[in-house]
Amino acid sequence: MKWNAIRAALILLCQLSLIFLLQSCQTAPAPPEVEQALRQEQDLWRAGASIYAPEDYQKYRGLLATARKFFEQEELKIGYFRNYDKVKKDFTAILAEGERIQKLVEDKKASLAGEIVTRKKDLLARYETLNTLSLELSQRTLSRKQLAQADVLFREIDRFLEKGNYDEARSRLGPIDSLLNQAENILRQQLERYMSQEEIARWKKLAERAVEKSRSANQLVILVSKLERKLVVYRGGEPVKSYEVGLGFNGLSDKLHAGDNATPEGEYRVIKKVSPSKFGKALLINYPNEEDIKRFNEAKKKGYLTASSRIGGLIEIHGGGKDGLTQGCVALDDPEMEELFRMIPVGTPVTIVGTTDPNNKIIAILRREQK
Amino acid sequence: MKNLMKLSVLGLVVVFLFTSCAKQPTQQIDEAKAAIAAVEAAKGNIYAKDELKKLNDDLQAALDEVNAQSKKLFKKYGKAKEMLAKVKTDAEAVKALIPARIEEAKNAALTAQNEAKAAFDEAKALLDKAPKGKGTKADIEAMKADLAGLEAQLTEVQTAIDGEDYFGAKDKALSIKDKAAAIAEQVKAAIAKVKK
Repeated sequence: MKWNAIRAALILLCQLSLIFLLQSCQTAPAPPEVEQALRQEQDLWRAGASIYAPEDYQKYRGLLATARKFFEQEELKIGYFRNYDKVKKDFTAILAEGERIQKLVEDKKASLAGEIVTRKKDLLARYETLNTLSLELSQRTLSRKQLAQADVLFREIDRFLEKGNYDEARSRLGPIDSLLNQAENILRQQLERYMSQEEIARWKKLAERAVEKSRSANQLVILVSKLERKLVVYRGGEPVKSYEVGLGFNGLSDKLHAGDNATPEGEYRVIKKVSPSKFGKALLINYPNEEDIKRFNEAKKKGYLTASSRIGGLIEIHGGGKDGLTQGCVALDDPEMEELFRMIPVGTPVTIVGTTDPNNKIIAILRREQK
Repeated sequence: MKNLMKLSVLGLVVVFLFTSCAKQPTQQIDEAKAAIAAVEAAKGNIYAKDELKKLNDDLQAALDEVNAQSKKLFKKYGKAKEMLAKVKTDAEAVKALIPARIEEAKNAALTAQNEAKAAFDEAKALLDKAPKGKGTKADIEAMKADLAGLEAQLTEVQTAIDGEDYFGAKDKALSIKDKAAAIAEQVKAAIAKVKK
């Protein structure tokens, strides 16, 4: 009886030991926060935490490494002695810190993106001004190359911003600025005279003299204003007809020599009516006049022109279309040229000026840019 | 007393054996580092960013393990050696992935370059045949000049490809393609204006 009781007790003890052993061998599941934190660390790195929050990210990684170490040590223990409470607590805290860093990174990126977008907006406004200015000119080829290149870079910025590649996006701002400066310099060289009040006053005087001539002799006078691309016929001091005109490829410049594609400025007269000409009907003017010859010779003397340079000639008011880009002539649409041709006799004074408007569109556009 | 002396000496020998025989796995460390450097040299920082980051993390974990063991009385570098061997094997596998990725990026850049060139050529062809009628001549001249600007940018795409900056080349090429398409649309609008 006694032995039976001892045997039963031993069997029970063995069974309990077995249960204990089985429980000890069972692996308690690791807290899900461990895996989450490891994934979070990868996500943070991908989001650019090492760039946008380097110190916080470094500390976070330190905390993560320590927590991992503790977790690994805990995993080495036999199941019964394993306790994940601290592991769970540590990793929960790490996840919270990771979320904080994630937000910090997002805020910094948003701020950087905002900064880039603002600078891009400023540059875009400048680009629009220069683009308008360039397209306003008769020689629309000016600065187009630089503006087209800037346009491509603007598009690149949009692509980089979309991908969240802010460093690349930012790196395009400088080159755009430089291209716009180049474009502006090219345009300024051409347009400086149109911003000079002295030059405008001189042109105005020429125009007033033309109108006065028309009034005093009650004769027809042609006045061409290059910037406005207008040809106005005066009779008795009053405008009787107005036409839109096209100019040379380099029409806003004052003609100095053959091949410069510029339209001359000054006081001329019609010396021949040509019909038919290469461009429909034409009124040939007496370019070069005495003043042009003087200016050409001075330029040559000062070495601005080569010895082989010629002054050029055959400047006409002709048909062919006001949209034409001439080699220096003034072009009208054919029906209007027909009308002008009928109206204008040989000997009619022709005055060509840059502009008479002290608030001309170039000044207006540049003022808009300055704002 | 004599026995006690013997036991002490034996004990010291055992302790010495346990502490000094386990040497730091410097060779494995060097090999793992060299394998990662080879990934970097193969442009892993561009074409296998995520994998390179993981390799560096794993190396750091292995080095931490070496460091932890080196402070212990009874050093066991077995786990660290396994970790380092895995870093080396993984690095070699990542390095093997890179040429295909470079090829893929190169092909994408070349495709984008061809698309940009095609868009450019289309705009140019349209401009060449555009009727220089009323109201379009000056516009056409402006667009020709715009295309000249794009041509310069196309050269930059080739420069980027030559410099193996395939991602940069692709982005630039696609931007050029967009701009060329915009110019082609302007040309079409100018042609339509003449037809009216």
